[in-house]
Amino acid sequence: MRKSLMGKKVVVLLLIPALALIFIFLILPGLWVLKIGMTNETLTGAKARNPDFVGFENYAKVLSDRFFYNALRVTLLFVLGSAIVGQAGLGLSLALLTYRKRKLRSFVQSVVILAWIIPEVVVAYLWIAFLDKDYGTLNMLLSVLGLRKVNWFYEYPLPTIITFNIWRGTAYSMLLFSAALETIPPSYLETADVIGVSAWRKFKDIIFPNIKSYTLTDLILITLWTFNVFTPYLLTGGGPSFRTELLSIYIYRTAFRYFKLGYGASIATIALLINFALAMFYLSLSRRKKA
Amino acid sequence: MKRLLVLVLVLAMAAFIFGEKVTIIANAIKGGKNTQVVDWFEKYIPEIEKELGIDIELIQTGIKDEDFKARIVLDIKGGGGADILWIDGFWVPEFVEAGYLRPIDDILAEIPAWKYYYDSMKAMGSYKGKTYLIPASTDVRMIYYNKELFKKAGIPIPWQPRSWEDIIKTARIIKEKLPGVIPIQLNAGTEMGEATTMQGFFMVLLGAGGNLYDWETGKWIIKSSALRDTLNFYKRIYVDEKLGDAALQVSAGAREKTFELFRQEKIAMYVEGTWFYTSVLNPNNPSWGFPDRDERIGWAAMPGRGKPGDPEFVSISGGTGFAVNINCKNPKLVAEVLKRLLYIEPQLSYFEMKPFVSPRSDLADSCWTVNKDKFIAETSRALVKYTTFRPAFPVYPEISFQAQLLTERVVTGQMSVDKAIEEFAKEVTRIVGKENVIEKP
Repeated sequence: MRKSLMGKKVVVLLLIPALALIFIFLILPGLWVLKIGMTNETLTGAKARNPDFVGFENYAKVLSDRFFYNALRVTLLFVLGSAIVGQAGLGLSLALLTYRKRKLRSFVQSVVILAWIIPEVVVAYLWIAFLDKDYGTLNMLLSVLGLRKVNWFYEYPLPTIITFNIWRGTAYSMLLFSAALETIPPSYLETADVIGVSAWRKFKDIIFPNIKSYTLTDLILITLWTFNVFTPYLLTGGGPSFRTELLSIYIYRTAFRYFKLGYGASIATIALLINFALAMFYLSLSRRKKA
Repeated sequence: MKRLLVLVLVLAMAAFIFGEKVTIIANAIKGGKNTQVVDWFEKYIPEIEKELGIDIELIQTGIKDEDFKARIVLDIKGGGGADILWIDGFWVPEFVEAGYLRPIDDILAEIPAWKYYYDSMKAMGSYKGKTYLIPASTDVRMIYYNKELFKKAGIPIPWQPRSWEDIIKTARIIKEKLPGVIPIQLNAGTEMGEATTMQGFFMVLLGAGGNLYDWETGKWIIKSSALRDTLNFYKRIYVDEKLGDAALQVSAGAREKTFELFRQEKIAMYVEGTWFYTSVLNPNNPSWGFPDRDERIGWAAMPGRGKPGDPEFVSISGGTGFAVNINCKNPKLVAEVLKRLLYIEPQLSYFEMKPFVSPRSDLADSCWTVNKDKFIAETSRALVKYTTFRPAFPVYPEISFQAQLLTERVVTGQMSVDKAIEEFAKEVTRIVGKENVIEKP
């Protein structure tokens, strides 16, 4: 048993400010959302002034709400496509392709990070300019090549925002995997090179076991981020006809466009629970690995 | 540095002691949406500031109506917001129920012009026996058409359809003769919000002798043959004959995109309100205005369905006006500002900059004769007798959303007409209760 640097009391004292902040800015608003979600409060009309407590009525309504199921389906596809397959997959591939190639890596990293650090509103406009049906760069290129102009936002709305989000967020996964690869002792791979092992075997037996825990960290973070992302709203507004309406956009529409605060809060609570379940699932995976 | 600090402090204190301030918010921005409104305020605010010795601030926005509404609501709910709110009349009931607006009957007592307002206009601004809004202007709705495109397609001008069939026939000719031009823009879908309900859905439904609300029984109409015909008309235009662009209706920023396309002469007919002509297409609007608007753009009354017993022509009216925020600290001052904005001279100037149907009898005559605004004079004379108003109850916005959804599901082909009506009936019943809905033959 290693002796800790400080006594327990000191540690608790030092943690108090952080815990206080978490309580004020996270726990309290969370409880407030729970409370509002059990009322029929609205932003206009009589229920804005005197909302009633309705218990779990909102939740019953959500479970028979076709817009909710649509939003849930869109969100899950979006997370699967753009986070788990897209960002993690592409990030890992880029990290592997540039592994032990210092110059190439710094070049690729700077390009990828650029997509990550430009402000969201700017990025959204760039993509609209790129994909617009009549004036978009992509359609200009297609028509130069003699191909049909495609109305991307209307014909392929979900693939469009998935692609957008992969482009936007791959940087984080790539950086994380690049750093993870650095932790593998070079002698392992050198030995493997000497023996003449295939690339796949190298990945399966040496690289992957060494970066497993990083992979999990990456997946937890990007899943939760992607699940709650709102940026696609700037591209499609949740349309056409709700085909890109993520849960976050649906909550926004319910609460701030149709002013149903209570109902919106109950959907937000459900989204919170789904987030929680996802996080638990990942954590259980990491525990099983350690056991 | 020290001196500067002292100066700032003195100025701050001076402002605190003497600086009385009135704020006004309007959905307008210089060079963009309702640019004429900003120009008008800039013309008159300095005078009023000088006369009253106060500071008047205009908050410009110029955004989607739905976003503007959300902003005002959140401002007031948070205990703030501008003193004078230039809002849409149909928001009044839900705002009053929420306790966001101050009754202004005491302020109106200070305003000599109030006696000239038409009763129907006074009714638009009142709710449950109190007045909350001074109407600024009202409007009518019609079909605009691009004369140049009509000439190219060989359609005789002036054009005045007598039935839905006439509209379809004209649209077919345009489709055939002018590829790449969208024959007709009839608003549909939720993206356009209230513009779909007013300029699209209602204009068709009224023409079939239908309505959303039955004034006799005081119930919402969930099924009727008029409703079915309305949606079938939408279906013919957008699905069966592709005389309109369904994808456009449901894409982000649809309304602005259609303005843009009309400006580029890629839309031949557009069902819209007065505002479209006097503000969007106004030669002084840098975004979408036509320099030669009066020669280039014609208008026709929207016909009824065309069956015996149907209305000959239809129109529906809304309007915006001045309301006072419940959080307003200084109603006396607000009364003084409003009083001056409503003097005859600034009002005449307003209707000159942004011609509209006047809500006041003393302006109406001078507007038509003094300003010679041919368009307003003609459209008012032709359409005011046909026009009607929205059933502006606190629950109306929710029903309106369901109506938008109806059109969206039909024009995008997501649902058949019958299925969409089924959904509509179910949702409206859920919103207002079984005892408040009715089915009509």
